[in-house]
Amino acid sequence: MIRAIIVDDEAPSRQLVREYLGAHADVQVVAECGDGFEAVKAATELAPDLIFLDIRMPKLDGFEVLELIGRKLAVVFVTAYDEHAVRAFEVHAVDYLLKPFTPERLAEAMERARRRLDSGDDLPIAALAAAARPQGAFSDRVLVRDGPRVSVIPVGKIDFVEAQDDYVSIRAEGKSHLKQQTLAELETTLDPARFVRIHRSYILNIERLAKIELYAKDSRIAILTEGSKLPVSRAAYAKLKLLL
Amino acid sequence: MHPLLGRGAWLGIYVAGWLLPGLLLTGLLVLSSDATWAIAAALSMPLALLQAFLCLAAWYLCRALPIGGTDLRRFAGTHAAAAIASSALWLAAGRVWAHAMPDLSDEIHAPDVFTKTTPALFAVGILFYLLGAAGHYVYIAIEASRAAESRAMDLKLLAREAELRALRAQIDPHFLFNSLNSISSLAGSDAGAARRMCVLLADFLRTSLRLGKHDVVRLDEELRLAAGYLAVEQIRFGARLKVEQDIEERARACPVPPLLLQPLVENAVTHGISHLVDGGVIRVEVRIERDDVVITLTNPVDPDRAASAGEGVGLSNVRRRLTTIYGPGAKLAVARDAATFRVELSFPVATEG
Repeated sequence: MIRAIIVDDEAPSRQLVREYLGAHADVQVVAECGDGFEAVKAATELAPDLIFLDIRMPKLDGFEVLELIGRKLAVVFVTAYDEHAVRAFEVHAVDYLLKPFTPERLAEAMERARRRLDSGDDLPIAALAAAARPQGAFSDRVLVRDGPRVSVIPVGKIDFVEAQDDYVSIRAEGKSHLKQQTLAELETTLDPARFVRIHRSYILNIERLAKIELYAKDSRIAILTEGSKLPVSRAAYAKLKLLL
Repeated sequence: MHPLLGRGAWLGIYVAGWLLPGLLLTGLLVLSSDATWAIAAALSMPLALLQAFLCLAAWYLCRALPIGGTDLRRFAGTHAAAAIASSALWLAAGRVWAHAMPDLSDEIHAPDVFTKTTPALFAVGILFYLLGAAGHYVYIAIEASRAAESRAMDLKLLAREAELRALRAQIDPHFLFNSLNSISSLAGSDAGAARRMCVLLADFLRTSLRLGKHDVVRLDEELRLAAGYLAVEQIRFGARLKVEQDIEERARACPVPPLLLQPLVENAVTHGISHLVDGGVIRVEVRIERDDVVITLTNPVDPDRAASAGEGVGLSNVRRRLTTIYGPGAKLAVARDAATFRVELSFPVATEG
């Protein structure tokens, strides 16, 4: 049995996929979701095999949903916008249905989904995260999932980011959020005019910088407006001086 | 045909204007012979009248030999020959008249006066021809610049019309794709609703085609079109999309450019309602303030979503259309706070017609 969820903010659209799937006895629709948060929650809690995913949705778009789910899952995009097609293939979607579509077209997508699920190919999370971001643009928010819950952190609210093994810990508004991503990966998504890698393990939002103090010979610390103290490497100090 | 011929009043003024050259000619005859004023006038006035028409003949040559468009030797040669011919013709006619006119004096006879002044008259004839030709060239140049001016005006008008046409709202094809998808869905679950949506969609498309053909439409037609669009979208978005209208009654008859509201309403849905899980209310207000129609459109936006940098195509097209049509009398103001987006446009209440 293939367990599927349908994600679309328009009820008639979900209804149509559900109706067409009625002809496929090996598919069970375990959830219908009207927005991205619900989708992440359902995908985390229900562990479906297949997701029918709209791209333009409130709060989280389809690519962001995939980035947050981050687990093996066959994806069929369902959208009226064909300009997303290239990115859909970058994220290794099984198929891409353009609204409106026929039951035969959905059956074709199901055939490909069955083959994909049988082959047991993995969904590469890193490629997904990179593809989810439009080329050449910096993120204006960072998405973090804690179990089924999703936090959206506007980048302006980030104080600093600390590397912790395979994770990053994002400090914002007095709370720390853990995300499975390397500091280098996160750094490429942030605007370098606002976020500076001040140390091997730290990225700083320079708006939060109160002052830099000499701590020992050739060793400096940055003091943030909210009081945290972070080490500053010598190379980073030179870079900071240029920026400020 | 000479531009003066066939225009009675102007021709009359022109001929009357030849009174002065006629008097000068009379003076010339008196000075260069022993003619009395009476004989000189009787001889020269008809000659002046004839010259008035001979000068007009230069028009045809001037038109055939435009300045700058003709080889200089041919230009000078043709006009010189024409001047001599014209003057000779004039003198021949003058001679006939001198013999034919009644004798006014016993001592002095018109043919004698004429013979005596022939060389001077020949020179005058040449001069008249040249002046006439010069006058015609001036006239041709003025006409040419006037024509160029009116052509430039025509082109400007055409360009403005083309610009307005280009700025006119186009229906977003994704609106159609999404609507067709909704119909496809309803066809399976609620055939009646599917049919109703087909009718709504057809009404909207037909109205937008009809309004698009006009330069101005009544504001209430424009509002009805916007309502038609929102009715279709309400089937897609269900309870997420609500609409409120507050329209000042006397504004309904105001003339407005067609499809002006369409891109704004579309923006309110695609950049507002569609980003919100719970949707919200699109509010349309129209009132008349002094001599302006003021239309305000308010829609909720997702506070977590950063405002897009700059203006979208829809909004900037509406702005350019307004300034092209109304000039500085029209305004379009955009305001966004955390949770709402508001666009206000105002333009003069023009009287219909």
